[in-house]
Amino acid sequence: MNPINANTKIAEVIKQNPDALEAIVSIRPKFEKLRNPLLRRLMAGRTSLAMAAKLGGCSIDDFFVKLEPLGFKIDRSVLPVHADLEPVPDFIHSLRKGQIVDLDVRPILAAGNDPLNTILEHIKNIQPGQVLKVTNTFSPTPLIALLEKKKFLSYTHTAEENQIETYFFKTPETAEVEPELEIQQDWDVILKRYQGKFILLDVRQLEMPLPMTTILEELDKLPVVNALYVYHKRIPVFLLPELTQRNFDYRIREVADGEVHLIIFIP
Amino acid sequence: MIVSAALTKTTSYKVIIPFYAFSALSFLTAAALLFRFAGEFTGHYFQPHILAITHTMALGWGTMMILGASHQLVPVMVEGKLYSNFLAGLSFVLAAAGIPLLVYAFYTFSMQWPAQYGAILVNAAILSFLANLTGSLLGSKSKNVHAIFVYTATLWLFAATLMGLLLIYNFTLPIFSKDSLHFLSLHAHLGIAGWFLLMVMGVGSRLIPMFMISKYTHEKLLWTIYGLVNGGLLSFAFIFIYVGSSALLFIPVIAVAAAIALFAVFIYQAYSKRIRRKVDNQVRISLFSILLMAIPVGFLVIFAAMLILNRVDTSLVLAYGFSIFFGWITAIIFGMTFKTLPFIVWNKVYHQRAGLGKTPNPKDLFAAKVFNVMGTAYLLGFVLFIAGILTSSHVLLQYASFGILLAALLYNWNVFSVIFHTPPKK
Repeated sequence: MNPINANTKIAEVIKQNPDALEAIVSIRPKFEKLRNPLLRRLMAGRTSLAMAAKLGGCSIDDFFVKLEPLGFKIDRSVLPVHADLEPVPDFIHSLRKGQIVDLDVRPILAAGNDPLNTILEHIKNIQPGQVLKVTNTFSPTPLIALLEKKKFLSYTHTAEENQIETYFFKTPETAEVEPELEIQQDWDVILKRYQGKFILLDVRQLEMPLPMTTILEELDKLPVVNALYVYHKRIPVFLLPELTQRNFDYRIREVADGEVHLIIFIP
Repeated sequence: MIVSAALTKTTSYKVIIPFYAFSALSFLTAAALLFRFAGEFTGHYFQPHILAITHTMALGWGTMMILGASHQLVPVMVEGKLYSNFLAGLSFVLAAAGIPLLVYAFYTFSMQWPAQYGAILVNAAILSFLANLTGSLLGSKSKNVHAIFVYTATLWLFAATLMGLLLIYNFTLPIFSKDSLHFLSLHAHLGIAGWFLLMVMGVGSRLIPMFMISKYTHEKLLWTIYGLVNGGLLSFAFIFIYVGSSALLFIPVIAVAAAIALFAVFIYQAYSKRIRRKVDNQVRISLFSILLMAIPVGFLVIFAAMLILNRVDTSLVLAYGFSIFFGWITAIIFGMTFKTLPFIVWNKVYHQRAGLGKTPNPKDLFAAKVFNVMGTAYLLGFVLFIAGILTSSHVLLQYASFGILLAALLYNWNVFSVIFHTPPKK
């Protein structure tokens, strides 16, 4: 039995004594993920006790207290390696009250909705020099990656259990953020996505305004998994706002003069 | 040029945008003149500044806007393509040169060369448009009732401008047996009922249901309306030239009033069968313009009655003309500009983006807030101005004309921000 310390990986702990798994799970409900063998393989090998404590919003001692009865030797003298912990960036040190815009998305999560769009809406309105503070129940890793690409500075810290605060600082170099930050999906991507699930519709021979009404009628009965592939004579500009209003997305391709193809789908 | 015209399916925006820009600036000019000479609306209607304002409105604002939109819409309506982009450009250049000359001539009230050349250029522009329309219709598959409305309206427009040309020469040469003032009402009504009314009905009966996403159509009703307007106009011209009896003028008035009532019924039916429950403000103001048609009709009935008594109040004539050009025509253009122009510009800016992923919505190219403020300023200005004419109140006229000037400024702001729209930087 090697002594364990703050930097011992969870996988190592469980390998030494499989009962440790249940002991760790009992610390925080969050750690129940470890019961899933796949997730355990993914995470446990890379996560030290110190990191787990940070993620779970508890102290390393909570681990030691649970693990000691199982016969683990604890070496409390080893300091946790902070390589995995973010240094506190300068902007946090110089934060003033008026700079911070607070956004608690936990109610949105509790209602079972994705807070991403709400966060992006707020991000759009943040001025350079301001900070958006997002309070969440987990560390929003994808969002951090997304906004750091836009040159936002970010800092995450665990205030307490289920209260993870992430700060996004907008600098003058920060790029403008559009609400639709999803990657531009072009024609080919959408074409591939709905391959074999297209419902074809040819409105080239119809007289105005029948193309539009026919398309809208088809969309009314379009199943979610399908997409409508329309053969048209021109870009139906008056149809486009209607599609947006009905929450459809579309891609248009001008094949030739007088030959336009559209894919209309539910994003 | 000829080659590209043969190939293009959608009319090039290059020939359409200038019409919209010219039209917007004309409205601003007319509103500025109205503001400057508001007090003159307490006198007689046949005077330089009022003639200048009327022609800026009728030709610069109304006609140029309709010509621009027609180049785009007619090919779509007849399932064909525009016969010639060159002729479209030509009609713009001729009209854009002719209209300012003509307006300047009225303003200074000199019926010499500026007036004559201006009128000749305007007529040439209309002929160029007529030729283009003829070519487009001959080459199209479907010659429907709407296209016939548009074509007939253009013939009436040519009749009106040709008569205008003769009236200008009549100041210096003895063309007619009577002075030009005598023929004014015939000239005006060829334009108002023949050109504007038929055109608005022909295009509106197709577009307004489309904007409300209504499948309603009633071809027979439209043919009845067509017969009533044309019959009314022909009978008016006949009575005017050959009979001269005032009592008979009730016939054309009743015919045109019936046509307008039936048109209102048609639009109401389309409205009640619409799929799109929420009607936006642009369509709303267009629907409102149909209600506004009732005002001139009311005046017409009063005139017909007054003619029997042999005295027509000049302030009523002024109010009548104002309610047509600044009321009905302006309201419908306000609505239709932002249901057409943003889409034309959107097509120009975004159609070549492969796949057209996240592009802005065409209707977001103009500022809806500015549009709403414009509509409010315009409505207040319009109502107060009519009241000012009828009560001969200088104060009312001045305040009201400011409201209309404000609306014109906001309209221009919106139109030019659409025309110069550039894609947002990603």
